[in-house]
Amino acid sequence: MSPKANRFKSNSFIYFLGDGADKIYILKSGKILLKSNDIETNEELKELINTGEFFGVKSALGKSPRDETAVVLQDSDVISFTVPEFEQMVLANTRVIMKMLKVFSNQLRRIHSKVQSLMTKTESTDQEQGLFSVGDYYFNTRQYKQAAYALSRYLTYYPSGRLATQANLRLEEAERLLASGGSGGGTSLGPHSHAGSSSVSQGPIPPGKEYYTAVSLINQDKYSEAYQILQKIVSGNSGGENQAKAEFELGHCLVMMNKFDEAIRYFTAFLQKYPKHPDLKDALYYIGKSYEGKKDLTYAKNFFEKILAMADEDEPVAVKTRKALKALGSSQ
Amino acid sequence: MSQDLSAFGRFAISKKAGEIVFCEFEPGENFYLIQSGKIKIVKILGDLEKTLDVLQPGEFFGEMSLLEEAPRTATAIALTDVKLLVFNQTNFEILIQGNPQIVLNILKIFSKRIYDQKRRFMILKLEDIQARVADVFLMLSETQPQPPGTQDEETTQRVFNTTPEDIAHWAGISVQKTTEVLNHFTTQRRVEVHQGKIVVKNIADFSRFVNSRRNKSSQ
Repeated sequence: MSPKANRFKSNSFIYFLGDGADKIYILKSGKILLKSNDIETNEELKELINTGEFFGVKSALGKSPRDETAVVLQDSDVISFTVPEFEQMVLANTRVIMKMLKVFSNQLRRIHSKVQSLMTKTESTDQEQGLFSVGDYYFNTRQYKQAAYALSRYLTYYPSGRLATQANLRLEEAERLLASGGSGGGTSLGPHSHAGSSSVSQGPIPPGKEYYTAVSLINQDKYSEAYQILQKIVSGNSGGENQAKAEFELGHCLVMMNKFDEAIRYFTAFLQKYPKHPDLKDALYYIGKSYEGKKDLTYAKNFFEKILAMADEDEPVAVKTRKALKALGSSQ
Repeated sequence: MSQDLSAFGRFAISKKAGEIVFCEFEPGENFYLIQSGKIKIVKILGDLEKTLDVLQPGEFFGEMSLLEEAPRTATAIALTDVKLLVFNQTNFEILIQGNPQIVLNILKIFSKRIYDQKRRFMILKLEDIQARVADVFLMLSETQPQPPGTQDEETTQRVFNTTPEDIAHWAGISVQKTTEVLNHFTTQRRVEVHQGKIVVKNIADFSRFVNSRRNKSSQ
């Protein structure tokens, strides 16, 4: 395949607004007009293409619909490129591509500021409050590494901000918990039920330090040590507010220790006990992984498919499930 | 990407899994190219962390900082241990010289962004919030081609893997208001809301509805 020369008759159309886009054109001779509507006033906009100029670039590169109609005013000769053909050509011509970058970045800057001005009318985003809330969220969900980052950024930008005192307190608490082996990965720590993002003044007192020790061991792949601690918490019912999480992590350890039958039995009971656990889909994932470990691939596949039917496409659990499912497919 | 970036070693940084690269609302100065590992882009919506995207080696993020030092609109977290190249307006010129492939990639990102922003503008300009919600579905239908078998040409039914939170984000209205509108559409049998998925019964009907509102407001 190579770029094609096309001849268009006067009064014909090359493409219409809203069409799917896969071609980029360059005008060799003739007269072509691009018609579109101003997004603010809906007024009709007309732009004549100069000889030697590209058109249809943005929609083809961005894989978006055409945002204009290309009308042929006089018989015209154009060359049409597929996206790969276009890429090949411009890669050899850095000046063209730099020029386009300048034009596009100007357009983007303009439309971006228009959207921003509408957004401030519709929802007021307070940067200072926002940055604090992000730290607050990670703190409440026990993801202390992330909380410490956001809170220290808050203090960098707003050292005497209106939430500086709270940010300081929380940062210290987060750092203390991190130093004592709290989780920073947050891989399996879902949003916590008691997390009140507005309860700023109330300092949290995390009970069950053993739970964090266990999570830290898991992060270091020391599953059997973590298992022993978690079993103590679970059987003694001493996890306090982390009880349900401790129970989840216990099953996680079983899977990682290759005790697949035990893990399946364990998680099945777990799901009956906590049908609305925030890590429900992760629990299903581990059941699937256990069946996979047992070479019971049909069952494994069933569980993975169940997760995908429940999960948002871009959730981390969906991402790892798709990967697991793909790996199954290739091993069969 | 195949081009030689070894000369940019001095701009390289590493992050461990779980570490934040930048945080929503903090001012942005740098943009990043992933050399190895994965980055997840998230936003905190109420008491949920919503993953917007998972980026792979060769992909950029934070590139809006090239245009202006506006606050970050999302948080970037290392999903695995990652190696990143850090760029800013000062070293950008050095980066692109002799690396047209990088410029081309940015050109593609900008093309997509211009369309997204234009479309977003058109949604936000609608005053009627029902029309806004309907227009979000039209936008999704324009940019996400439906896989074969999930669309029926005759009834023009469309299935979207989306949530009321997503719709609220695009429509620039609260999740609560969005849910009210969706409930209203549900009682009219125009949509069905399922876990992680929303069905629009007749996309052409939404298109007519939005056009009538849009023409009214532009006059």
